[in-house]
Amino acid sequence: MSMERREFLRSGLLVAGGAAAGALIPAHGDVAEPATSNAPAAAATLALTPDGDLVVTHAPRGASARPTSEEVRRGVPGRKWVMVIDLANCDGCGVCSMTCAKSHFVPSDRQWLRVFRMQDDPASTPYWMPRPCFHCDDPPCARVCPVGATFKRDDGIVLIDNERCIGCRFCMAACPYSVRTFNWGRPNDPPAATARGYSPEWGYPRRVGTAEKCDFCPDMARDGKLPHCAGVCPMGAIWFGDENEDAVTNSRGETVQLSKLLRDRAAFRELEELGTKPRVYYLPPDNRHYPAPGEPGAQNGNQSHGVEQR
Amino acid sequence: MSAMTLAVRAEGADTAQFEADAVRRDLLATLHPIGAIGRVWIGSLVAIVGLAAAAWIYQLVNGLRVTDMRNYVSWGTYMTDFVFFIGISHAGTLISAILRVTNAGWRRPITRMAEAITVFALLVGGSMVVIDMGRPDRVLNLVLHGRVQSPILWDLISVATYITGSLLYLYVAMIPDMPILAEAARAAGRSPRLVRLYEVLSLGFRETPEHRRRLARALGAMAVIIIPVAVSVHSVVSWVFGMTLRPGWHSTIFAPYFVIGAIYSGTAAIITAMALFRRAYHLEQYLLPEHFRRLAMLLLALTMLYGYFTLSEFLTTWYGRTATDVRLLDLLGGGAGFGLVFWGWTVVGFFAPLALLVFPSRRSLASILTASVLINVGMWLERYLIIIPTLETPFLPASAAGIKPHYFPSIIEITITAGAFAAFMLLFTLFSRVFPILSIWETAEAAEEASPAPAYPERRHRMAPATIGVLLLFGALPSVATAHRASGQVTPAGAAAPVARPGNTQIALKRASEDGQDMLVATVTADGRPLAGVTVGFSVARTFGNMTLGTDQTLSDGSAAVAFPKGVPGDSIGRLRVLATVQAPAELVGTNATVTMSGGLPTRVTNESQPRALWSARPPLAMIATILGLLLCVWSTYAFVVGQLIAMSHVKQEG
Repeated sequence: MSMERREFLRSGLLVAGGAAAGALIPAHGDVAEPATSNAPAAAATLALTPDGDLVVTHAPRGASARPTSEEVRRGVPGRKWVMVIDLANCDGCGVCSMTCAKSHFVPSDRQWLRVFRMQDDPASTPYWMPRPCFHCDDPPCARVCPVGATFKRDDGIVLIDNERCIGCRFCMAACPYSVRTFNWGRPNDPPAATARGYSPEWGYPRRVGTAEKCDFCPDMARDGKLPHCAGVCPMGAIWFGDENEDAVTNSRGETVQLSKLLRDRAAFRELEELGTKPRVYYLPPDNRHYPAPGEPGAQNGNQSHGVEQR
Repeated sequence: MSAMTLAVRAEGADTAQFEADAVRRDLLATLHPIGAIGRVWIGSLVAIVGLAAAAWIYQLVNGLRVTDMRNYVSWGTYMTDFVFFIGISHAGTLISAILRVTNAGWRRPITRMAEAITVFALLVGGSMVVIDMGRPDRVLNLVLHGRVQSPILWDLISVATYITGSLLYLYVAMIPDMPILAEAARAAGRSPRLVRLYEVLSLGFRETPEHRRRLARALGAMAVIIIPVAVSVHSVVSWVFGMTLRPGWHSTIFAPYFVIGAIYSGTAAIITAMALFRRAYHLEQYLLPEHFRRLAMLLLALTMLYGYFTLSEFLTTWYGRTATDVRLLDLLGGGAGFGLVFWGWTVVGFFAPLALLVFPSRRSLASILTASVLINVGMWLERYLIIIPTLETPFLPASAAGIKPHYFPSIIEITITAGAFAAFMLLFTLFSRVFPILSIWETAEAAEEASPAPAYPERRHRMAPATIGVLLLFGALPSVATAHRASGQVTPAGAAAPVARPGNTQIALKRASEDGQDMLVATVTADGRPLAGVTVGFSVARTFGNMTLGTDQTLSDGSAAVAFPKGVPGDSIGRLRVLATVQAPAELVGTNATVTMSGGLPTRVTNESQPRALWSARPPLAMIATILGLLLCVWSTYAFVVGQLIAMSHVKQEG
């Protein structure tokens, strides 16, 4: 390598199109991939490290960009999104559920994230259990969908395409966690929801006669942001991250090693015996620092929805 | 003069011929113009169907919100109707096919009605699924994007196969009646178009040995193949429930339980239909008490079989007492939940029919009919009890979320259900206005059987080879999505070191070996001179934040170090973005350096690790092979039957 070239690389950054980067380093799997034609060309940054490693990184996509249907079906390459919910730290305030509903314009007759007041046996104290979609690795819902409207992506997320859904509701019957909800009537989305335009990655604007559920906020993850629920939890009880990175982050900006967290805190998954392999882990509700459900000063888990939900 | 006693009485061919003519005259009489009562009957049915159509339009405009189904109880009356009508459709198979295969002589006046029930029940049942859909406008997606991993596709395939088969079966068995009908219609001065219809449908059938032979072949093949097809249909319907993990549904006996229940309700339905037609068309001479009694014995056997299956299903879950099963059983049997319906169903659907049928001396026409009507009511309730209570008993109790799921059919659902029953009866009535509701030729055949020589020896049928046409069906199988390779990976950008701070404090970060140990070393300098006593935090960048590796204080040479992290996943080739950030003293906080370096674990990028899992876009190969194999067997038999019909229509005129 000539001195000029080395200086050029070191002095700054070579900004090249994805295709150019691919031509430069064809050997390295994902970085060598040319950007797909209909995706906005991600700016690639080429740099030389002090160790002499030549690296290419892609700039994060802007929030405005709409993933192509191909990207929506495949997910974010190389990722395995995962969530850990610390039941010992959940005080049942319901902010996660409310923020989720607000961000996704979820109507009041349903919840994408529902907080259950659980009690495992008569002797143990009750605890709050926020229940998003578990994005199972063996999803019963995706198994039974007759048209592939609900699908499992390579990055672990299970999504619904409401432009294909025929409204048979088999997925709702199949989900053992009762996660899925349905647009029974004509949707009444606010202008903000319709303005953005539809993508399965955010699930609105809604369509009558189609199913919907928690989507793990893949549009947020594409921008490197935590899902709404994880980002707002006042207790930092919801961790989210990439299993491939072996790390999860919470609303307090703490980032910890996923495998260590699961190991040290004896994590479990809901109804493990069903074999659905959820991508959401729970940390047991031990050594809590807040009133248990029903005790004086306890929160209500955002369960004030009355008769509208059933 | 009845067909039964006639068979015994007839001694010579002449007598038989005379009696056969009488049968013909009597049965054709059912096609006479509609009377006043008939007009009221048809008018009311049309009105109810019209009302239901209006209700459906209202539902299409407003969505399924007009039903009482909600997120917990997401299936309701429409699914109940669907399962019920598919069950009724088994009447045709059992009575007609099984009795034909076993050559039971008493079947003859019953077969036509049974086969017609099958066709109409399937039409109505199939429509219920479309009515239940949130997006009936997208029904074609089942073909365009169909996934054979879904039991709904199994349903679609097997119901389509069944409806084709039962239409074919109904038609084949009607062919010998067609020339008789054409002749009678012509003689009665009916419209030439009706005469023409009968003639076309007759395929030129005449009483020749060649025609008879081909007919017997076609009918024999259809009677055999339609039995497994019917069994498959109700098995598949049960699997829509059985393949989920829900308590009350996830049962291995569901398929046979549903099939038995289907034959049970189908037999009850045919007895009810027989009684109605007997009264309406004055068929007392043909539909004898003997027919009802034989069917009643069959019904009794099915009652016990059904009771046995029900006991087996409930006893097993009751005795096992898993938490979710107990919740379901408490809801079913308890006074607060479905107790009244549940115990009512055991009486109506089992104990009362058993009591009515079990004593031979008490087996009157009235009690047989009562039992049949009760069974049909009971079977509808059973389908309802299978669907709704289970949906009210989710694994995560709704009560834990402060929610009480409940369901009762809305006025729209009730109207549409009434319309479904009315449509079923209307189709049946209209059919009976155009085609004789009893098979003329088979009933007459009973008379001729008394003559010594069997007219047409039965032969074993050879199955025809599969036709290419069968393959057309496979076009409906889902298109296989092609896997695509990864596009550009999105990771946070930036790899630059060192970074300057005001005051010209700099921090340099590198990986180095110190005392044989793999270390991360940060060197803090101010205007080129090393700074001691600075707290440096080391971390590695993750998507949503920086994961702390450790902290260290700089020594006199300005260096701080922590062990290089082992086993931390990097990108696809193992690169890590490592950060060093000054944490103390306060005036230097925020000074940082970021370096991308190798040393992490390469992240294995898996592209669709399970390309043929049940949830994947593409189905398991064994599943495709099984479905194709079964379809090939059935449709090649259909092709053989059609081949016989074509051959029949090409038989040369004799003499």
